[in-house]
Amino acid sequence: MTDGREETFRRLYAAHFDAVLGFALRRTDRPEDAADVTGDTFLVAWRRLAHVPAGQEQRPWLYGVARRVLANHRRGDRRRTHLGERLRRELAAAVPDVSDGVVQRADVTAAMRRLSARDQEVLELHLWEGLEPREIAEVLGLTTVVVRPRLSRARARLRELLGNDPEPPGHDISRHPQLTRKERP
Amino acid sequence: MNPKLSDDTVAGLPLSLGRAELLEEIMSTPVLDDRPAPTVRDERRPRGWLVPAAAAAVVAVLAAGTAWWAGSTGRAPESTPPVAAVPEPGSFRVVLDAPGWTIESAYEDSKNHSGEVGYVRGDASLQVNWYPASNYEDRFEDRRHITDPPSDGTPVEVLGLTGSMWAYSADDHTTILPVEERHFLEVRGSGMDQEEYLALLGQLRPVDVAGFDAALPEEFVAQSERGDAIGAILDEIAATAGRALPAGVSRSSVSSDQSDPYQLGAEVTGQVACAWVRQYAEARDAGDQDLAQQAVDVMATSRDWPVLDRMDRTGDWPESIWEISDRIAAGDVPEDYTQWLGCER
Repeated sequence: MTDGREETFRRLYAAHFDAVLGFALRRTDRPEDAADVTGDTFLVAWRRLAHVPAGQEQRPWLYGVARRVLANHRRGDRRRTHLGERLRRELAAAVPDVSDGVVQRADVTAAMRRLSARDQEVLELHLWEGLEPREIAEVLGLTTVVVRPRLSRARARLRELLGNDPEPPGHDISRHPQLTRKERP
Repeated sequence: MNPKLSDDTVAGLPLSLGRAELLEEIMSTPVLDDRPAPTVRDERRPRGWLVPAAAAAVVAVLAAGTAWWAGSTGRAPESTPPVAAVPEPGSFRVVLDAPGWTIESAYEDSKNHSGEVGYVRGDASLQVNWYPASNYEDRFEDRRHITDPPSDGTPVEVLGLTGSMWAYSADDHTTILPVEERHFLEVRGSGMDQEEYLALLGQLRPVDVAGFDAALPEEFVAQSERGDAIGAILDEIAATAGRALPAGVSRSSVSSDQSDPYQLGAEVTGQVACAWVRQYAEARDAGDQDLAQQAVDVMATSRDWPVLDRMDRTGDWPESIWEISDRIAAGDVPEDYTQWLGCER
């Protein structure tokens, strides 16, 4: 175990902890589950540090890991690593008190639930995490040529359900991409 | 359900102790798996489409039609299949013969020797991708990490081959088949349980290009019809804009491998827009106001191109064309327009 390895991981953790925890919180029912997903995701990154890409590819890579960890949790894999007990407790106490600072309005969330699971997933990555088709492709293990038309169709379906593009809601949502955002190849 | 907090809000939560403790806990765990990715055992695998059903652990796909090489009887194989059943060269695509399932989308990336066909039935979907053999190791390695710890998946027998299946969830599975014909297949089924998914795998049928075309819905464009379909789109644009392409750009230079009308329309209009944006950029640099204005005028008609009107009901590609049109009208050529429009084909 070298100092270099630890330093590399500390930087990775510092740069992406909020994003990975946010990713997990937006997709889980209970704060404690989000803590577990976050802990397991970074545990994978720690063990596979040599495989973690550099630069802007890091976050999509981590999201891809978190997505698989989440899938394991959803299908009933409750093997706990017993990491992050304090984080679980802090999250359980903090999250219920938060009512502002959400990424999208409730009506958009409701409409997205009427889409197929696949459409939901690309839209969530685009709207919640702000990923471009290229980055979504990295998370899902697909090619950009597949993701681009899928995202287009998913957005079109959501627009049909909502009747129009959702108005920019308040709070932090201005920092996140909206449905009116143009896709880039 | 947790609130859908933004990352900024998450950053403001009082979690500093838990965050720091988790970091130290993770770094105190032993490093178990930091070796380079293992090479996939494909080279040691028996070659040929006709890999016999192997281990007892294999999940047999027993639905009728599983053994495509068993001929019209659809019987599952009882012994080594006949050599004569080897498919024609180029038959690495597959189609789904299952009642109620329809093709929703198709995409052909001939440059990268890959493609996709998507089937739907209600909320369930089956996506078949084919990729070049060179992508096999990376993709297999990626799929191994669907499970924790990583695994080679559950062996399943599909099309006479032993593939590897992983479950993203109880109703979402994917299977990768070994390399054949310098390609390999991945089949993902969502919105169905494992039993239904395996039954569908048993209803896949390998086809060559002609067989693939024959399975496409009526509104899709077969290879033999593609030249006419491209010509018809160019004629529509010319009828609206006065001309479809700049002087010096021939209609025969516009091509596409797509059968899905949406994808075909995207590739054709992308090439048309590329030609005009290129003319605009070159004319502007050369100080030729007339040619620059001609490009702006033609692209300004794009909101009336019938092909984009049809596509607008399916997806957002038309918005890319319209945005480019607006940008050059404002004197702005986006640096990355060739990527936007797929000019580099």
